[in-house]
Amino acid sequence: MKIRVLLTGRGYQIAQHVPDPLEVPDGCRVTEAIALVAQRLPADQALPDSCLVAVQGKHLGSVRSHDEATLQEGDELMLIAPVAGG
Amino acid sequence: MTEDEATDTLSPRERERYDRQMGPGVLTAEGQEKLKSATALVTRTGGMGGPAALMLTMAGVGRVIIAHGGELISPDLNRQILGSEPLLGKPRALYFAAYLRSMNRYVEVEDIDHEPDDEEAKELAERSDIVLSCPPTMEERLRLNRAASEARVPFLDAAQWGMTGTLAVMKPGETACLQCLYPEEPPFEELFPVVGAISSAMGSLAALEAIKILSGSGQPMWNRMLTYDGYHGQIRTSDLRRDPHCGCCSSMPSAREGS
Repeated sequence: MKIRVLLTGRGYQIAQHVPDPLEVPDGCRVTEAIALVAQRLPADQALPDSCLVAVQGKHLGSVRSHDEATLQEGDELMLIAPVAGG
Repeated sequence: MTEDEATDTLSPRERERYDRQMGPGVLTAEGQEKLKSATALVTRTGGMGGPAALMLTMAGVGRVIIAHGGELISPDLNRQILGSEPLLGKPRALYFAAYLRSMNRYVEVEDIDHEPDDEEAKELAERSDIVLSCPPTMEERLRLNRAASEARVPFLDAAQWGMTGTLAVMKPGETACLQCLYPEEPPFEELFPVVGAISSAMGSLAALEAIKILSGSGQPMWNRMLTYDGYHGQIRTSDLRRDPHCGCCSSMPSAREGS
């Protein structure tokens, strides 16, 4: 199945090789989808542990610690790398 | 300022000033008077806090407190709209406050020429009705979040990186707080990239939420984070998760329980 992926916030440009939509296994869990996104990043880049995770507009926690959920076809996974900046 | 203008009632001149923002779909006269009687703390007042403070001042928030240390430098001028070429090398807070005062004679502007520490942040939050968090470091943001939580005043966190920005709207004891999102302080990047158009947009959106909350108008984005990804041209909102083990707010009773 396919899900939408939006990686935004700090370092968004590292996601340019993450396909959107992203092909994931049926019944894919959030943790697995995050790992699939991470595999598509440049070799020297990683998602920050503090990156916020949201599915279908619902914040689930961070990459380090989030509520688990099963994704559905067409769901949107949003990864918001922490931003400060003034 | 006339005697009328020193009260919470709107004078005829103030009604004239705010004429375009009072009416259907915007603020009521009562809402405008609530703004006049309100105090907003904005720290800092650079790319985001500057436009936020300017919009609050122009909208007629009665007292605007700004905090920002240091002197204006050339790289600030791609986004810090309260600055200008003649102010290079001059202290930001003092001159930014002067500019704000020049934009609305009916508003009191208080300037603080440094970043508040824990104790001062708490004192400032306690005499404010809302806190707008716009600093460049997560350390300062989390400090302001704690101060707003202890003072039980709404907390708006506006942040940006590059061409993206976020805005979170929080109410202590009822919504997630910033520490629910970031229980551990993320690493700080001193020379973050920034395009002034995004920081200005996020600051203005934070001001709009503050105006709605303070005046009782519209529907504030309580417990939501707006994400504006200007690079990809995408806008989203997310419902925030309150951390039941949050070191800042988990022991805080809700407003209903506490009342």
